[in-house]
Order: sequence, then C-alpha cells, then structure tokens
Amino acid sequence: MAELATGSPARDDAPDDWRRVSPKYLWVDLVGRGLPWLVVAAALALVAWGASKDPDSRSLPILLWVASAAAIVILVLVLAWTPARVRSIGYRLREDDLVFRRGIMWRRIVAVPYGRMQLIDITRGPIARALGLAELKFVTAAAATGVVIPGLPEAEAEALRDRLVALAESRRAGL
Amino acid sequence: MSSSALDAADGWHRLHPATPLFRGGVILIVVLGFVVGQLRDSLIQLFAGGLTGGADLPRNPQDPFDRWLLGNVALALGLLAALIVVVILFGWLSWRMHEYRVTDEIVEEREGVIRRKHRRARLDRIQGVDVVRPVVPRIFGAARLDIAVAGNDGNIRLAYLRSADADRLKSDLLLAAGRARLAERKQEDAALGVDSAHGDPRLPVSASAAGATPGVLDRRIQEFTAPEFDDRLAEPGSIVHMHPGRLIGATALDSVPTLLWFAVIIAVLGITARTALVLVTIVPLVIGLGSYFWRRVSRSLRYSIAATSGGIRIGFGLLSTTNETLPPGRIHAIEVTQPLLWRPFGWWRIRINRASTSQRNGAEGQRNTTILPVGTRDDVERVLALILPGEARDWWGGDYTTSPRRGAWFRWFSWRRNGFRIADDAVLLRKGALWRTLTIVPLARVQSVELWSGPLYRAARLRRVSVQTVNGVVRPSIGALDESDAARFWADAEARTLIALQ
Repeated sequence: MAELATGSPARDDAPDDWRRVSPKYLWVDLVGRGLPWLVVAAALALVAWGASKDPDSRSLPILLWVASAAAIVILVLVLAWTPARVRSIGYRLREDDLVFRRGIMWRRIVAVPYGRMQLIDITRGPIARALGLAELKFVTAAAATGVVIPGLPEAEAEALRDRLVALAESRRAGL
Repeated sequence: MSSSALDAADGWHRLHPATPLFRGGVILIVVLGFVVGQLRDSLIQLFAGGLTGGADLPRNPQDPFDRWLLGNVALALGLLAALIVVVILFGWLSWRMHEYRVTDEIVEEREGVIRRKHRRARLDRIQGVDVVRPVVPRIFGAARLDIAVAGNDGNIRLAYLRSADADRLKSDLLLAAGRARLAERKQEDAALGVDSAHGDPRLPVSASAAGATPGVLDRRIQEFTAPEFDDRLAEPGSIVHMHPGRLIGATALDSVPTLLWFAVIIAVLGITARTALVLVTIVPLVIGLGSYFWRRVSRSLRYSIAATSGGIRIGFGLLSTTNETLPPGRIHAIEVTQPLLWRPFGWWRIRINRASTSQRNGAEGQRNTTILPVGTRDDVERVLALILPGEARDWWGGDYTTSPRRGAWFRWFSWRRNGFRIADDAVLLRKGALWRTLTIVPLARVQSVELWSGPLYRAARLRRVSVQTVNGVVRPSIGALDESDAARFWADAEARTLIALQ
C-alpha cells in the first residue's frame, strides 16, 4: 500500500520496475498498423495512375495523388511512433493487483485487483506466432477494463497466466 | 393448487396449463382472424348455400380455390380439423416437456419438443427475481417469473406459473439465494397446515376472514387487486409514495427535448412541403409519442420500494405488473440524476448497474435499471439509505475534491461542482451544473480503476479517472481533474477497493 500512496504513476520517469513487452513485438505492431495504410496508399496510387491515362479527368488524378501521399505520410508517422508505442506498454504485478499501462498520445493506466479476474485468454496472431509471441487478455466482469498485454514470449505468457490464475484463486472475491 | 407445482416426487414441475395459449394464443387468434377474413365470402356462401339447398350457390365460381373448396368440402374440413389438432397437440406437448425444478443449490429448466434445451443456474449466482404479470395472463391468474443470473441474457424465464406459485417460488428462491434452507420453509408450511384445496397462506387476511371459502373468481379478484401481497416475508409499506401527478409531470418534462426536436422537424416540413405531407407525417408521430408516453407512465404507476428479508423489493406497473427483488450486494453502481427541467420541482431519478443487465433497450431495459423513476430529495435519501446501508450521511456536500480553475476549459459551467470523494465504502462522483449527476460506486463492487489522459488534457495538466464496473447504464468516470489529485484518487480508490475485497 505504501507504494500506492507515494509515486505518481502517471509519470514515465518514475523508478522503473515496469515489465516491458518483448522487443520483437515491434514487428507485429509495425505490420499490424502499417499494412492497412500501405494498402490504402497503394490502392489510391493505382487508381490515380489509371485515372491519369484518361484525358477527360482533369483534377481527379491530382486529388488522388494527394490522398495517396497523405496516406504515405500517415504511414511514416505511424511507423516512426511504433518503437515508442511498444516501449510504452508495460505492466506491474503488485501484491494484490495488476497495473497495466499503454499509449503515448492517449495514455491509460489501469489497476485490476487479482480477485476480480474472471478468466485469462491467451491468443496468438499469425505474425506473433511466427515470432513466438502471444497475447494475454485479462477479463473482468467490466468490459471497460480492457487489459490486453501483447508481445509476451509464449513461455512467459503461459507462466504469467498460471501465476495470475493462482493469485486470483487465492484472492477470489466473486463479482 | 400449489401441490401440483411444488411437491412432485422428482422435483420437476410443469408450468401453468394455459401457457401455450398465453404464449402462442395471440398469434393463433391473429392467424385465425386472417384466414376467416380472407375466406369470409366463401364460408358464408358455403353455409348459406348448404342451408338454402344450394340455390344461391354459383355453379362455377371464378376463383379456382373456391371451385376446389366446393368440390371437396369434406376434405377441406378434415384438413382444417387436422391442422387444429396438430397445433393443439404441439402446444400440449411443449407444455408437457417444459419443466423446471429447484433444488438446494440450483434452479433448472428444460424445454423443447424437437430441440431440447436445458438451462441451470446456481442459486448463489442469482442477481434478482422478478414476478411479471402481463395483462392477459394476469386476468387468468398467471404470472411470469424472471430469474436474473450474472452474465448477459443468462436469465431463466418461467412463463407462465400460477400467480400464487410464482410468488411462493420467488420467496423460496430468494431465501435459498440468501443461504437459507428450503427444507425449513417446507416444514413451516406443513406446520401451518397448508392444504391444497384452497390454501394459499399469502392471500390477504380479509379473504379468509370473510368466512366463506373463496371461489375461483374471488381469488382472481384478490390477485388482480392486490398483486403486491406476494410474500409474508415482506415488511409491507413502500418507503416512497409515488404520486401519479408527479410521475406524469416528470415524464412530460423529460420528454420536452424530444418534443422540441419533433417540433423542429415538423416546422421544417411545414415550410418546405405541402400540407398533406405534413399531416401524413404528424399523425403517426403523435400516435407513436402518445403510446410511448402512456407506456412510460403506466409502467411506473403504482411504484413501490421496500426492504424485505430477501432484499430490496421494487414493484411497478398498472396493468402489467412487475415485482422484482434485488438480493443485497447486487448493485454495482448507482446514478442519481436531475434533468434541467426537473430542477424547479426538486425531482431526481435513480438508475443502477446490475450484473444481469439485459442489453435490451426501451421499457424492458428501463425496468431493470431504473429503481426510482422520479422522487424528491427526501425520497432519494431514503432509497439510497436502503441500497447502501450504513449510517446516515451527506451525499451532496462533504469535502469533494473539485476541478482546478483551468478545468473550466473542459467543463465550462460545472468545473466548480465537478469532483470526487471517497467515502468509507463507496466512491462518489459529482458532476454537471445543468444536468446534475451523482454517481456512487460501492468499493466492494469496483472491477478496475483507470487513469487516462489525452494530448489536450496533458497540455492542461488534467486527467480523467474511471471507476469501472459491470456494463450498464451507469458509466462512472470523472474528467478534468488536476493531475496530482487524479493520481491520488486513482491510487486511493484502488487501495480502498483492495481493502474492501478482503
């Protein structure tokens, strides 16, 4: 309880006992967030290129090229922020609760008592599986809780799940 | 009467025998009406023709169906009879196969003729028990029992039971859910000498005091006029007296914004379109609004709330009545609100989150969430004291930590009011200057606590804190707090939750 009252958990420069996710998760995040924008940019460029062949369409190709360029800019921004975003994901196992944080622009920090855990999901996406990573979802009776820890090495995810289940079992509190 | 439903050997009971009629009866009547309407001419001709010796009957009708019918009267009647028999048989079978049972630990329901369905729920997971009496079954002395279990739509719905059985089952379930034993209750019944002929100990005393054995009709009238007399465990008397005038006024005021929108739409239509079009739009609108208004008012008429040993009992409804009981500790969040137009009258409304909140909207959902449709400050105090027992306290004042001056950028009118307070056993959030709200979350029900900030909030050194509970109409969160206040609140709320959990 002492640590609860003291440190300001909103600051990143607090003494760092946060557990981070695997650096390999960077690639999952890059592909997951970059790919949609890449596809959008490519599709827009393709249409613009096709439209520029047609002499009747005057300003349309230019607009499409601009849109495509905008998608590229967004893509670059997304990619540039990715390392920081992945670093921002962290969790702490305290005595009676789990604290989870993520986000750079929109930051959220959630504290969930172990006793509130209803179940724990482990999911593996295709890219994450190729890299040997897994995602751990902490489900409570409140849908808003939304604690999903991505990018854990599979062995670690399973160990963490077992540990959380044991902790939750010992602090069972119903709804 | 009660013996058939509660004392069978294997514990399985069937529902009210008229159940298929209540459930499918309306559809059957509609279909029959449609068929009769369509065939009216043919039928009249058929019978009239038969009586007058076929004089009026055209020899060769134009309609091929009529021609066939005239040629095969016996076959057609036979088919119709067979259809009716099949429908009745199916209704009877589905009634036979629909059973429920209550043991010391679970309540079970199984139904279905072709596809069997089996549901069971643990008694200790029951979130509430409602007795609902729609008008038609109510006339026939039947009621529906809704057993709310944690989780979305995990409810068990027993439709329909005999009224008295429903009430008795409800108190049994609540007793069992409250860790009391069913056996005790049964012994008690035996000791009281309940006989199955007319014995219904829960009827008002006047019925037996009248001397004569109450007939079926008397019993119906008793049930119809006194549906709140449902269990002897109830301490009678609602702690809130709902005046119909207040209810109608409050509902009308609450609808003013909606009415204004409609007025704008109609005005726009009136300017741009022709009169006929406006009329075509307005008439259904008015009818719809009227029926909506009537539903809301009639649903909340005869509102009552009282503390019973099984939990808080809330009664609703004029024609179709609902009578639900919330076991203690099943309320996850409470919201006390005052719409702007209610302020001159000092009226408030209380809504709650429960673990079994159905996802349905409208009147059905409202029933589950609104526990005080409209009440004065005193009513609110009494209801709050009931759902959050403890010593009397000042909900509204006290040392609320409010937004800093710069919070006015985000809370233009309410920044002085916008604040939080942690009481002994609950988190209190006070919000809104125009539309006032007080949100209360019992610490023992908090699921998680979130601290949030976006770019604009960080620029103003502000934070938002959400106290997350089960899904429902109440979303407890408070924004525009000073960053250090918010961090302290976040940590405190979590620490107190952990203490409350132990």
